[in-house]
Amino acid sequence: MNGIHDLGGRHGMGPTDIDPEQPIFHADWERRMFGMFILAFAGGHFNIDQFRAAIEKMKPAEYLESDYYEHWLYSLETWCKANGSLTDEEIENRMRKLSKGAV
Amino acid sequence: MPTMFAAAGVDDLIKTGGSCRVNADVKAHFVPGDKIVARNINPVSHTRLPQYVRGKHGTVERDHGVFVFPDTNAVLKGERPQHVYSVMFTARELWGPQAPEKDKVYIDLWDDYMDPAG
Amino acid sequence: MSKAHEHDHDNRSDISLRVKAVESLLIEKGLLDPAAIDKLVDAYEHKIGPHNGARVVARAWSDPSYKQRLLKDGTAAIAELGFTGIQGEDMVVVENTSGVHNMVVCTLCSCYPWPTLGLPPNWYKAAPYRSRAVIDPRGVIEEFGLKIPESTEVRVWDSNAELRYLVLPERPAGTEGLDEAALAKLVTRDSMIGVGLPLSPDRGTE
Repeated sequence: MNGIHDLGGRHGMGPTDIDPEQPIFHADWERRMFGMFILAFAGGHFNIDQFRAAIEKMKPAEYLESDYYEHWLYSLETWCKANGSLTDEEIENRMRKLSKGAV
Repeated sequence: MPTMFAAAGVDDLIKTGGSCRVNADVKAHFVPGDKIVARNINPVSHTRLPQYVRGKHGTVERDHGVFVFPDTNAVLKGERPQHVYSVMFTARELWGPQAPEKDKVYIDLWDDYMDPAG
Repeated sequence: MSKAHEHDHDNRSDISLRVKAVESLLIEKGLLDPAAIDKLVDAYEHKIGPHNGARVVARAWSDPSYKQRLLKDGTAAIAELGFTGIQGEDMVVVENTSGVHNMVVCTLCSCYPWPTLGLPPNWYKAAPYRSRAVIDPRGVIEEFGLKIPESTEVRVWDSNAELRYLVLPERPAGTEGLDEAALAKLVTRDSMIGVGLPLSPDRGTE
């Protein structure tokens, strides 16, 4: 699709943020998300092309503004919801429980 | 249905990966040296043919072999294995006469992304 | 706090919470093994990285027949050193010469040769690099502090398929007699992506 991800040749995206001290993972959630993607792929939730295709359907502004591994979460959720492994309601309920320290 | 991938398999998974190469005897439609034009396709579904290449003229440099075709694989319409080629486009062809004369962009194109050009 | 800053703060703690929620649900449903995540993270955070690619480059600099194999069939030659697997299953190595400078990008997402370089830096995956690399590679390389002469041909490789690209930088002057281990120390990650050059042996700077 002619989505915002198709960036080659676009202007206006700003300077490259080089930051030579960049850690491989900036936060623990990135570590967990990285691992979850690989394992979901290996476990057959999606093929690599399906994985990328889902990311391309993110809202353009969100795609550009979000952290990289948020793209992966979006895709993982897309496929887990499609195959019935997860629902939005379950995720939100669990988030509420976790933020209350209840789990 | 998806399954759980166990920790015991991780070392092997990392070392082996999952190549998208297909061991199939598929005819190549192009050979190195061929002049091609990238198709002007605009699917609403997944493709790996970027907009900046569509309709542009390039030269086939190398045949990488046969791979899964992402456009169909992404929507579970089959692997449709076909040759993938390294194709050279001059910077001027892509970006116009102001681009540096010597510079080039190389991109990997599937058979289905190209037509022969004069 | 400004509205934008507040939103940003909420988003940050939100994303962490959401990832925790998704992970815990998948574990409970028997779909995810958290120990497997730990192993993967350990591998890519502590073991797999550009030091791998540096050894490939150092070998190519030291052994002309290895270099020929590397340029002809990158996958097989890199496998000789044991660097195989996820996001490196099909490798192509492109050589810098006095007349040619190579640079690698993935304009459509973030494809990168993990077994030789580890996981990509954030800038490689972000919009500025991905958009500009194909249209103004010299401008991007200048952001990294390197100026490519007009007489040099710049080749940009867009990793849009499943081939993964590694740049073989030119061997720096004054390195005759250095063994592979010493040579490998000069090979930077950025020189294997193509936004920099290897270190020079005398001062350890480019």
